[in-house]
Amino acid sequence: MKNLRKISQGIFLLIFLFLFIQTESKGRDDLGYPVKIFLDFDPLILTTTVLSAHHAAKTFYLSIIAAGITLIFGRVFCGWICPLGTLNNIVSSFKKWRTSAVNREWYRVKYYILIFLLASSIFSLQLVGIADPISLLIRSLSVSIYPMFNYSVRAVFDSIYSSDIRGIVNVSEPIYSALKKTLLSFQQPFYIQSAFIGILFFLILGLNLVEKRFWCKYLCPLGALLGLFSRFSILKRSVSEECASCGACANVCQGGANPDKKEEWRDTECLYCWNCDDACPQNAVSFGFSREKVAASMDLGRRRVITSMAAGVVAVPLLRVNPLSKSEFIHARLIRPPGSLEEKEFLKRCVKCGECMKVCITNGLQPTVIEAGFEGIWSPILIPKIGYCEYRCTLCGQVCPTGAIKKLTLEEKVKVKIGLAMIDKGRCLPYAHSRPCIVCEEVCPTPKKAIWFEKAVVKDRRGKEVFVQQPRVDLDLCIGCGICEAKCPVVDSPAIYVTSIGESRSKDNRLLMDRY
Amino acid sequence: MHRREFIKSAAIAAAGFAIPHSIDTLFSTAGAFEKVDLAVAHGASPSKITRAAIDAMGGMKKFISRGDIVVIKPNMAWDRTPEQAANTNPEVVAEVVKMCYEVGAKKVKVFDRTVNDPRRCYVQSGIADAAKAAGAEVSYVDERKFRDMDIKGEAIKSWPLYTDIFEADKVINIPVAKHHGLAKLTMSMKNWMGVMGGSRRQIHQRLDESLVDLSMFIKPTLTILDAVRILIANGPQGGNLADVKKLDTVIVGIDQVAIDSFGATLFGMKGSELGYVKIADKRGIGTMDISKLKIRKISV
Ligand code: SF4
Ligand code: SF4
Repeated sequence: MKNLRKISQGIFLLIFLFLFIQTESKGRDDLGYPVKIFLDFDPLILTTTVLSAHHAAKTFYLSIIAAGITLIFGRVFCGWICPLGTLNNIVSSFKKWRTSAVNREWYRVKYYILIFLLASSIFSLQLVGIADPISLLIRSLSVSIYPMFNYSVRAVFDSIYSSDIRGIVNVSEPIYSALKKTLLSFQQPFYIQSAFIGILFFLILGLNLVEKRFWCKYLCPLGALLGLFSRFSILKRSVSEECASCGACANVCQGGANPDKKEEWRDTECLYCWNCDDACPQNAVSFGFSREKVAASMDLGRRRVITSMAAGVVAVPLLRVNPLSKSEFIHARLIRPPGSLEEKEFLKRCVKCGECMKVCITNGLQPTVIEAGFEGIWSPILIPKIGYCEYRCTLCGQVCPTGAIKKLTLEEKVKVKIGLAMIDKGRCLPYAHSRPCIVCEEVCPTPKKAIWFEKAVVKDRRGKEVFVQQPRVDLDLCIGCGICEAKCPVVDSPAIYVTSIGESRSKDNRLLMDRY
Repeated sequence: MHRREFIKSAAIAAAGFAIPHSIDTLFSTAGAFEKVDLAVAHGASPSKITRAAIDAMGGMKKFISRGDIVVIKPNMAWDRTPEQAANTNPEVVAEVVKMCYEVGAKKVKVFDRTVNDPRRCYVQSGIADAAKAAGAEVSYVDERKFRDMDIKGEAIKSWPLYTDIFEADKVINIPVAKHHGLAKLTMSMKNWMGVMGGSRRQIHQRLDESLVDLSMFIKPTLTILDAVRILIANGPQGGNLADVKKLDTVIVGIDQVAIDSFGATLFGMKGSELGYVKIADKRGIGTMDISKLKIRKISV
């Protein structure tokens, strides 16, 4: 059973990583792979989104399937499928575990986390992605681990390339180009906060050295939710009379399910790893379908349940009493990807999984710090200086699991305004420095260019007349894609820049009057 | 005279229909061709007019030798489809690739340093697929392959340029003719921006001089101006099909200045209206005055 389980875990992890790597443009309008399918399968995301936004993603039935499987087989998802669980497993195995597992009673913590998340989502706060394992994993990989991996591999091959000791490049370059075609990203990704998010992730992995699958046992809210379902599962563990209470099973238990205490086996904690079955010298353990109640009852403690619920409720106003919740105070640079819902609605849905950031062609989508308030931490923001919104690309809407970013057709996409460009005349070359420059106009992608020129004859220092074309932005045509900002030769602080005003999704963040 | 002319163009047209080489070789070795400065072919099929125009210039054999490594530099800088005329026509590129291989080229490389995302530009322009199908090696620009080059020009003293261009035996430039906000029109000389590394956006401060500097430094074996569709406004990327004019024309020549000067006439302009053409003519890179050129026009 153990090997079977390992094979299953390995396969799912590989599928997960494969789909993760495929979350990247190949130049066509579609990705060609169901890259977000693990998120689709996640019943926790479904539950909180339904609670907070009263909305279920189109593919919600997949997570119903996952819940259904748990109702029949218990938390097999955790033991056999979950990619983060598998990583936890792998890290746990770095350490030799001799003594029987520490018997902590912390397993309840994850239920409190779950209750907190559910309570806050009832009051429309969507915080689930911070702790949901699939979102957490995708975000950490996208924003931190994968960029890190790319950076190191590229650094190695680049230094080989530039030194070229004894024609070694002939060997290294084919390897490098094979890697580029398979494992590496098209270009080196860079993210703000990548160090922070990476450290959090390493911390979670590191906890496995404190205790096997620490995260899964004590913290994971999805595990808690599946644990609740697990109570109803009909696949149960039973122990026969042969049991000699030797404790061998407790040593290998992955979930802290109390397998050695016959009547107190916790069905909610069991990951169905079958380790106890394999380890039992007496062959006393068996798993089978039964309706009989064999497990220990779960007692979360009424007071603590109420506390975590209350915390979830209190978190809502706590995170929201900042001026950003007033429409006039919306952060000027909070440019959301095209197709994003109106800000409040957006926050109810975005789970901060980072799929959109991973897929963004130009690397312009970045995790917010506090531009969207604490509530919106790690939600996507377009930072045009890093990367603009590619005019004919619709990928972010295709990968967003919750519809926080709507899936747009190309025809719809090109009409969406995500902001407006403004010119800083004090920095712009033709305005401030009597030098020709038309870069912003050249790259402006709207069919009729949103940047137009006012022709002017200006004087340089010596009084010589210079003909320049001074760029102006047509506020009706500008869609705020930010390519002008990204390509403006005044690189440090571009002479043309985009702010969120005028974004189509908002009724308040307006500039032009003709919409009334 | 009339009769000879007719026979020749008939032969050229026939060559377009994939007559075995030996026949057109026969014609050229027999000295049936006079020296032509520009060949302008008109017709419904982009690939046929491309072939016809090259044949009118003496055939690909005249330019590419057996075993050559050839770089083809199309314009595929924009995330636009072929109908939108922002990039070189993919059929034209593919046909040139084929013709290079027909005369024994060892390898044909196709690349461009794009403005929009390279993946999208390569795919959406249709060029990557077409060129690959014709056997070309289509690769993305590798930033490590730019080397500072001593251009010693008037505006550009030195600039990182793509080494593949200089390591190739032959270079074929295949620009598309279109409108541009600063240069007015962009054609062959402006196409060299696609081999510039670094922060090339600065050259707009002295665009005309810079383009001439580049064109003096990079000497293509052959230039093929794609005017199958031209963009008459909102260039260089367009996007509105109303700005696209279908001319079904391909112009082939050696002299970049002549080509661009002739190209201007497609837009109802004169070569002398383009700053870079004028400067290039003055510096003796080529001939701006098209009345001095021998131009052969063919319909296929
Ligand atoms: S908006 Fe981006 S980060 Fe948020 S849920 Fe959608 S894909 Fe994930
Ligand atoms: S690209 Fe920048 S400097 Fe150049 S014209 Fe536009 S805003 Fe001004």
